[in-house]
Order: sequence, then C-alpha cells, then structure tokens
Amino acid sequence: MINSADKLKVDRRDGKLVMAQIYVAFIALLIGGLAGLLQVLVRSGRFELPAGIGYYQILTVHGVVLGLVLTTFFIMGFMQACVSKTAGTFTTKQRTIAWIGFWLMTIGTVMAAVMILLNEASVLYTFYAPLQAHFLFYLGLTLVVVGSWLGSAAIIMKYAEWRRANPGTPSPLLTFMALVNVLMWIVATLGVAATVLIQLLPWSLGLVETVNVGVSRTLFWYFGHPLVYFWLLPAYMAWYVIIPKIIGGKIFSDSLARMSFILFLLFSIPVGFHHQLLEPGIDAAWKFLQVVLTFLVVIPSLMTAFSLFATFETFGRSKGAKGLFGWFKMLPWGDARFAVPFIGMLSFIPAGAGGLINASNQMNQVVHNTIWVTGHFHLTLATAVVLTFFGITFWLVPHLTGRVLTKAINKLALIQGVLWAIGMTFMSGAMHAAGLLGAPRRSAFSEYGGAPQAAEWIPYQVAQAVGGSILFLAIILMLYIFVNLAFFAPKGEEEFPIGEMSTHAEPAPMVFENWKIWMGITVLLILFAYTIPFIDLIQNAPPGSKGYNNLW
Amino acid sequence: MAKTELRKNVKTEVEDRSSLKGTLASVFLLGFFLIVSWVGVFFLFLDRF
Repeated sequence: MINSADKLKVDRRDGKLVMAQIYVAFIALLIGGLAGLLQVLVRSGRFELPAGIGYYQILTVHGVVLGLVLTTFFIMGFMQACVSKTAGTFTTKQRTIAWIGFWLMTIGTVMAAVMILLNEASVLYTFYAPLQAHFLFYLGLTLVVVGSWLGSAAIIMKYAEWRRANPGTPSPLLTFMALVNVLMWIVATLGVAATVLIQLLPWSLGLVETVNVGVSRTLFWYFGHPLVYFWLLPAYMAWYVIIPKIIGGKIFSDSLARMSFILFLLFSIPVGFHHQLLEPGIDAAWKFLQVVLTFLVVIPSLMTAFSLFATFETFGRSKGAKGLFGWFKMLPWGDARFAVPFIGMLSFIPAGAGGLINASNQMNQVVHNTIWVTGHFHLTLATAVVLTFFGITFWLVPHLTGRVLTKAINKLALIQGVLWAIGMTFMSGAMHAAGLLGAPRRSAFSEYGGAPQAAEWIPYQVAQAVGGSILFLAIILMLYIFVNLAFFAPKGEEEFPIGEMSTHAEPAPMVFENWKIWMGITVLLILFAYTIPFIDLIQNAPPGSKGYNNLW
Repeated sequence: MAKTELRKNVKTEVEDRSSLKGTLASVFLLGFFLIVSWVGVFFLFLDRF
C-alpha cells in the first residue's frame, strides 16, 4: 500500500516515543556489552573479576540486559515507527497508552537491574527455579512485560482503526507484520506471566515454601521459544520490506511475506519442548510432537531465504546482470543500510543449520547444555537480528532526529559491520567447536580438577576472548555512530525506506487478515501440544523445591 | 526485390530478466549446507551414543 502519505515523515510526537525506546536499547548495549567482555575474559582463565563481583552476576546482567531489555525496547520502538509511518500517526490516546507502556518497561528494567547489581538476583537470564531471586527482580520483569503489552495495544488499536477506515483492503505490509508479532508476543508472554505471578513471586515473598520446577521451566519455554521469533520477525520486516527499497528493487511477493508471518504465528509457540528434550517429567511422545512442530517453523524461514535471493536476483538482472550469480555483484555493497543487515542474513545460514541440529530430538544430546548453544544464539540473535537492528538504526535514527547519515559515518558503519563479523566468527566459531567437545555453557572458568577433556577446551576459550574483545570494539564503534546520528550529524532529511510491490503483483488475499481463523488455529495448536503434558507435570509432580538464593 | 537472407542464424542471446536460476542455485546450495552440517553432527551422535 504505497500512497502519498508514505512520502511523509514519521510524526514528530511518535518519533519522540520511538527514540525514547531506542535510547534505552543503546544504553543496554553498552552495559550488556561490557558484561559480555568481562565474561569472555574470565572464561579464558587469564583474568579474575575485581572487587568481589561474581561471574554469575555478570552473566545475568549480560543475558537480561541484552536478551530482554535491548531487544524489547528496540523492537517496540521500531514496530511503532513502522505502524505510525504506514498506517498513520497514532492518536493521542494510542500514544499515551504507548508512553505509559514505555515508563512501565523502564521502571521494571531499573528494578530488575538494581537487584542484579546488588547480587540479589544472580539467577541467569533463564531465571530457572529453584534458583531464587529477590521478589523485586520478578516484579520488575512483570512490569517490563505489562509495559510491552501496552506498547502492543497501541499497535493493535492503530491496526483496527486502519481496517475500519479501509474496509476490504489489505493492511499495509509493515503494519500487518508488526501486528502478527505483537499477537504472538501477547500469547507467548502469558506463559512467563503465569510462572512469575502464580509460582515465582509468591515463592520469593515466602508466601509458599516450594515451587514445582518442571511446571515453571515448561511455562518459561512456552514463552522462551516464541521470544526468539519476537526478536527475529522485526529483522524479517526489514529484510522483506525495507532492504528491497534500499537496494532499489521491488518486494518479491507481498502475499508470500504475509503467509510466512502467519506460519510463524501458528508454529512458533507450541514448540517449547525442544528446549527441554533432556528433561524428565515430559513424555517422549509429546516431545516428539513438538519436535515435528518445530520443523514446521523451518518452512517460513526457508520461504524467507528464497524470497530474499529472488529479490536480489531480480534487482541484479534488471540492472543487466548476466550469468548464474552476476546479480550478486550488482548489490550496493557500499551502503551500510544494506551491507550490515546482509552480514546478518548470511550469519543466519549457519545459525539455521545449528538450529536444525539442536531441535533434532535425540541428536540434542550431543549439544545440550554445551557452549555450542551459546554459539548458536550469538549467530541468530547477536548477529542476524542485532546487525539488522543496527542497519535499521543507520536510517531510522536520523529520520526521527531530522539528521542525515553522512558518507563518513556510513564508512564507519561498514567497518563496524565487518569488525562484528570477524569478532563473531572467532567467538561463535570457537563456541560451536568447544561445544562439540563437551564444554559446558553458563559455568565460570574451571580446570575441572585437571581433567584432560577440560584442557582441550582452553584454547577455544582463549579464541572466544579474542573474538569477544573484537566484538566489544565493534560495540563502542556502534555507540559512537548512534550518538552521532542522534545528536551531532548534520541536519537534513533521511528517507524511511519502504519497498514497493512489483507492478504485476496481485493484491494480497483478505484471508490473511481473518484473525478469527489464525488466532483460533494458534490456540488449538497450543492446547493440543501442551494440555496433557501440563496435566502430567502437575498430577505426577515430585515434591516441590525450596528456593536457593545467594549461592555465589 | 527480396533480399536473400544471408545472415546465418546469429544467436540472439536475450538474457531473460525474469530468470530466477541464480535463486534456484542459491537455495540448493543452502539446502546442501543444511544437510551436510546435520549429517556431520548425526555421525558424531552415532559415534558417541
């Protein structure tokens, strides 16, 4: 849906809302990145944390601040910018709801961060029971989730308003995609809200003695897997809609993009058991069912890969590219808005291959709880998604602050992307290799009593420290670029790139907008995949566990 | 007077602009990479368990 309104800038008031969230995201990048650097240094065995700071405290900071705070704030801001741009400026009521959401998220983040810094919540990013945090940590996370629901509500309200004003017309593609992501997010966060409000909060307050660990971990992963798609779908929004415009091509297929987002909505939730394949208390048959559903989520990702190759090839051939791969050279490699997200796309290939291995039921035993898994999600989240978010930052921030991305900063941004790729190749590559040799994830440096197997891991841990240090340099560079774009770049107009459909494209079928069907199937699949396992976990539960806190 | 067609069949190579053969090759390469990595770890699994 391209009309004259798309020429306009995002409304200044909506721009402020979006920028507020992006500021928090970049503060999170600084803190979380520093924690990550300390972690890799400790694990190299050549460095000890000063002043009694604990390794697991740093690990919790890194995971929570980057995995939960940076992502949620950036995504909410980016999606609101897309909706404001394509479906129209938010009404005062919608914007107020989104602002209340922002403040709730921020207050919650500060509460959780203070508890982590006081070493009262060193429960790692997964906050698995029976590790127990101070109740303010759980309350803080609850506020982050509730705040994100309000941010989502503004998006849903805008979508509903647009549909009422344009009956019988498919919604703008970016708005449609943002809507799918917030619907998935709301359904998914019900799980984490349930475990926090019903189990962990009363238990950390001492109202109940014990907790059912199996149920809490299952509720966490009911949320935890769609969480990774909540990170990924905004990157896909950029890949499907924004990248084609940046390179000067067309969107390959609007309908294919909508279809793949609907498939993510359906299949990304009833799959949490593939994180729990080695856990007792869940029948193997139900694990197998969720493994099958997991492999169905591969389909929309492969559709995305096909669609991107096709966009690039069609563009290259329109410029006269010849041969099988001539189009590859035609892509605008000097434009950081394209090249940096492209590095992200490329990293998604090994990331996806690793994901297939992780989810393959019995094969999970090879990699379960090893640092291979950490290497995997540093390719998915910390490269594919994050580099795409950086690529978005290069135009979104100047667009909102009325500045421009200069040639010099574009060059720095390219260097930043390449540094990231080099650092991550070392770090994630070493993590994958050490993981296959059995090195555990999460745990601090240890020689395990001089065990020969543990000695094999140490060179890889040094390689991780080298890669991690390069990544930290890339983070500093990114922060410099961000500050420049937000406060110092020359004034001007930076484009909000939105791809256009090819002229012969058919309009998207209206069935994609029938939420009764899609939400109905989503709920049915969840009930099918989870009802009996939950009954089992509750009826046949072992005695509950008391809480363990301040272990380190 | 009709001109005799002297030119032999000159190849008129019209590069098809809508061709997606590069995409086809790319997705095959991608699929091949996915299968090779999977099989690699599968043999590690057979070896260890």
